[in-house]
Amino acid sequence: MAGHALIAAYVSDLARRLPADTVAELADGLEETFEHYRRLGTSPAAAAAAAVAEFGRPEQVASEFTRQSPGRRAALALLATGPLFAVLWGTSLASAQAWTWQIPIGVALAFGAALVGVAAVLVAVVLSRSYARTRLAGPACGILVLLDAAMLATVALVAPVLTWPMAMAIPASCARIVLSVRSVPRILAG
Amino acid sequence: MATDAQALKGHLDVLLLATMADGPRHGYAIREALRDGSGGRFDLPTGTVYPALHRLERAGLLAGSWSTVDGRRRRTYRLTDEGRRKLAGERANWRGFARAVTALLEGDPWPATP
Repeated sequence: MAGHALIAAYVSDLARRLPADTVAELADGLEETFEHYRRLGTSPAAAAAAAVAEFGRPEQVASEFTRQSPGRRAALALLATGPLFAVLWGTSLASAQAWTWQIPIGVALAFGAALVGVAAVLVAVVLSRSYARTRLAGPACGILVLLDAAMLATVALVAPVLTWPMAMAIPASCARIVLSVRSVPRILAG
Repeated sequence: MATDAQALKGHLDVLLLATMADGPRHGYAIREALRDGSGGRFDLPTGTVYPALHRLERAGLLAGSWSTVDGRRRRTYRLTDEGRRKLAGERANWRGFARAVTALLEGDPWPATP
């Protein structure tokens, strides 16, 4: 058994921060680096220290994985396109005089609260330094799909006429539903 | 070198792909190929290389697979067809870009087109 207590401690630190498969991959790389230094004639303690130094601090490694995680990237994409959706649906609802529609106020408020909740979770994901927390983007994407679907259903059932802003908002929401559904498994597996 | 690290940022993905042009490699070997292939100039912290490999795999440019070596689980990456296409395209782009920069910095006349 190769290895060194310093490397074992480093790997268990990573294991608290990253998924098991990623830790196994990094552990293999650390052992390879350790053995590389051993072949050069370095002492075990110095080889372990050099291997650990080459990898960088565990929190740095974990934060780089977090920064490039599928959850964070999805959250960034949804937040970046959010204002466009706000404008599209805002003008759609205004152009169709949505305030005259027969929708219970409680339902409308619940919709708004859910939307704000999703946005808050996405912001938290983008700002988070914990890899595990980036997976929250998965459920947030799922709820956003339901909200998009609910909006489309409402328009289909309640809107008296199709206005031109709706002709842009509807395909945009359909596209967001498809992209979100596709990204959820990737986020949860990531 | 800090300036190298900064300049490398936009090119890391394609350089990583290039290290796998001749066949599959695992993370440590990829980092080594990057360092040795650049004469020691691109010596990246390993913590930067692995997350980039994962991202390239999710983008469909690399395919990873597990094996067992010396009782350890090892992840090996190879270029996908899409990864090969991307690498070929980036190579052509780079040649054009490098030719233009060299012509300007060195004061060489731009090669006349026939």
